[in-house]
This record gives sequence, structure tokens and C-alpha cells, in this order.
Amino acid sequence: MNSATPPAIAFREVSRSFDGRAVLNNVSFEIAEGETFCLLGRSGMGKSVTLKLTIGLIQPDAGAICVQNHNIVGMGEDGLSHVRSRIGFLFQSGALFDSLSLHDNLALPLRRLREKKPEEEIEAIVQKNLDDVGLGREGRKMPAELSGGMRKRAGLARALMLSPSILLVDEPVSGLDRVTASEIDELLLRVRKRDNTTMVIVTHDTREARRVGDRVGILNNGNLIAVGNIDELAKDQSELVRALVSDSQ
Amino acid sequence: MPPNQSLLDLEGYMRRCLDFIGNIGLFALRAARRVLVRPFEFEMILRQIEAAGWKSLPLVLSSGFALGLVLALHTRTTLVQFGAEAKMAEVQSLAFFSEIGPLLAGLLMAGRVGAGIGAELANMRATEQIDAIEVLSIDSFKMLVIPRIVACSLALPILTVFMDVVGLAGGYLAERATSDLSVVLYLSRAFHNVNWAAFVPPTLKTAVFGAVIGLISSYLGYTTDEGAAGVGRAATSSVVVSSLAIILIDVILVKAIFFLFPETAI
Repeated sequence: MNSATPPAIAFREVSRSFDGRAVLNNVSFEIAEGETFCLLGRSGMGKSVTLKLTIGLIQPDAGAICVQNHNIVGMGEDGLSHVRSRIGFLFQSGALFDSLSLHDNLALPLRRLREKKPEEEIEAIVQKNLDDVGLGREGRKMPAELSGGMRKRAGLARALMLSPSILLVDEPVSGLDRVTASEIDELLLRVRKRDNTTMVIVTHDTREARRVGDRVGILNNGNLIAVGNIDELAKDQSELVRALVSDSQ
Repeated sequence: MPPNQSLLDLEGYMRRCLDFIGNIGLFALRAARRVLVRPFEFEMILRQIEAAGWKSLPLVLSSGFALGLVLALHTRTTLVQFGAEAKMAEVQSLAFFSEIGPLLAGLLMAGRVGAGIGAELANMRATEQIDAIEVLSIDSFKMLVIPRIVACSLALPILTVFMDVVGLAGGYLAERATSDLSVVLYLSRAFHNVNWAAFVPPTLKTAVFGAVIGLISSYLGYTTDEGAAGVGRAATSSVVVSSLAIILIDVILVKAIFFLFPETAI
């Protein structure tokens, strides 16, 4: 990481508890601009919470979270809205709006912009993003008519609607077959190559972390127990770290 | 159970009730602040008026007509005993305009629309759709909650007018079954003692009922954090709490109407 450039995302001694149970405990890490950082760990170890903290959906009990040099802890709605406009978020389930067609799901963020875009321009951007994820002919479909893989691709297309410089991705390939999972990974790689997007990907799939990630962080019981590239982590002293990264080897 | 335990249970229950009332109050304040801020969400409000008003119309019309008919059948028996069957239409109109129409329309809306709002918003919360709105830099409260409150508040007075009309129609049908009373005479008797104060304030009070239904149902759905299990709970609670709230608020509003329009207090 270039020391003159501030990190895209920085967690500084962040802690968060739910009902007295510490989910994150003094977690610190930095992610450089354009880097893809994968978070690995067993279920319930705070990976998704880390993503939600990054975009301000949850506030930490302690610590600082800086996104492109703005500390979002305690930030007001307007400030958060400004920061979020530069971040895309792909939810585990896609989180498409049930009552809107796929096309309208994608158009929504553009239609709600303060500086209104002409409808023709919105149409063009929606169609381009749908084409990019291979759903160019599915725009009229409702979310309930889409398969799991299509929902994830649609969620990715919507997350990219505002051309974010940071993309947060929650378990993009969980519940998908190998071929569809590969297609999602391809899409993520293409987005990173095209836009130099900084990515944080929460995953259980070591193969995906190896393929897409520059660095991997291992979360266990609220602590970030190891950070490095996947080959380094495969030789880590901790048996748990080795087990987590060697699943698919 | 030891007496101390009962007291502790009661204390816990009271604390939860007060918490709930306090949180609803804060939610209402937030809504009051946000309703006047751009964007005004006209499209969403119209969509919600269609869902809350237009789609409730068949239920309101059928219930109002049936209740008008049954009420007339019961009232007629009593009035005949006192030789006052000529007052039949007047009793019917006053009963519907001042209380039955507004309250029944409110309770029907709490059942149909309240449950729908609670379940829909709770489902959106459980499936992360509300989070998805937030991360797109959209104010989810403004987009989802405000239109539902405004729509309920606007739609319920209109539904109440329909309820009043079909209630009178049901009453006429019951009257027609036992006498040769003409429509013109029935309506003339129905509106004989009805001035605007007997009709407008009770109809307008349903705007408050609507706001309360929208507010409580939205609160229960929007703030649920119990996943899929919370969807059913939010729907049920929305109906129960909204219904109870509008009955209690009705007591206060009836007293207020009597105070402001003494001629309506017979």
C-alpha cells in the first residue's frame, strides 16, 4: 500500500456486541484503494456485521471506521447518505425489492438522485448494467421469477448502478452450483479490472477467496486472527487458519 | 406463583407497555418531521391509497350494507314497541354518521390494511430490503413509512363516507321489506335532523384513525428484528394494537367533538 494514499477502508479498534455477546473485539485492518479483501471465517463470527459496519447500517460500540478518509462513526444521515453514494452493497439474498420489476429495481437509485437524470439516460444505464450481468432480456421479470444465481447477478447490477468506488459483497456464491459461482466470480473480476473498484467480499469459499482476493482476513470469535494472501495463510501457525484456507486445496 | 413474582411480572409488563408507547411517540415525531421534507413521495402515496383505499372498498361496501340491514332489523323491533317506527331512518343515519360508520371503517382498515402494512414492512426488514434501500442512499423511512401513514389518513375518511351511504342503503332495504316507504321519504327522514356538525367532524376524525393505523402498523413492521418469525407477529400485533388504539382514541375524540360542537351531544 502506498503510504501517501489514505486507505479506502480502515477499521481502528472496532468492537461491537449484540445482547452482551462480543461479535467484534478490537478489530483493526486497512484496505487499499483498488484492493480486493476477502473475509473468511466460520458462521456467526462477525463477517456480515463487518460489512454492515462499513456502510453504517450498524454503529460500533467502540472504535473508528474510516471510509475514504471519512470517519462514519456517529455520522448524521446526510453524511452517511453521501458516503453510501460511493459504496455498492451486494446482499447475500440479493435483497431485490419484491414489488418492483428487475428493471425498476435497477432504475430506483438513479430515479432517486437529487440531480435528476433524463428517463432515456436511466433506461440506457439500466440496460447496460443488465447486459453486463447477462440479464439483458429479463428486465420485465419480477424478483420472484428469478433463480438464485440470477438474483445475485441482479443484486450485483443494482449495486453497480451508482458506479461505486467501493463494493461490499456478502457471500456472493453461497447456495450456488460451481458453474454459477464461477460466473459470479468472473463478474466481480471484470468489475474490478474495469473500474479499479475496492472490494470487500465475505465468503466461505476458499476457492473464491483465492481466485478473487488480493488479501484474506480470518475472523474468529470476534477477533481478526490472521491477514495475508492465501498462500501465506496456508502456512500459518494456527491450525484453524490453515483449516479454513485449505478447504478447497 | 409467589406474590413477589406476580408483582415483578406486572412491573415488567408495565415497563414494556411504557417502552412501546414511548417508542411509538418518537416514531410519530420522526414521521411528523419527515412528512414536510422533500421529496414528497406523491407517487408512493397514490400507490398506497390504491392499496389501502381502493382495494378495501369491496370489504367496506359489503360490511356496511350488511350491518345497515341488520341494524335496521333490530332497531325496527324496538321502535315499533314505542310506536316510533317513523324515526327508523333518522336513527339509522345518526347511528351511521356519528359512530358506526367511522368506527367500523376504522376497524376494518385496521384488520385489512394494518395487517398488510405490518407484514409487508416486517418482510422487507427480514429480507434486508430496507437495508438495501438505505445503502442506495435512499431514506427508507421517508419512502416506506410516510406514504403509508398519509395514505391511510386520506383514504379512511373517504371509505367512511362509502360506509355511511351503503349503511343507509341496507337500512332502506330492511325498511322496504316491511313497509312501502319510498326512497325519497326515507332519505328525507334520514337527513331530517342531520346537520353538518353531525356528519363532518365524525367523518374527519377517521383521518386520525387512519394516521394511527398507518403509524402503529408501520412501526411494528419497520422496527421488527425477529426475522421471518417477526413477520407474522408484526401482522397480528398491527391489527390488535391498531384496533385497540382507535377504540381508545375514539372515546377522546367523541368527547372533543361534543365539546366543540355541543349540538351533536343529544
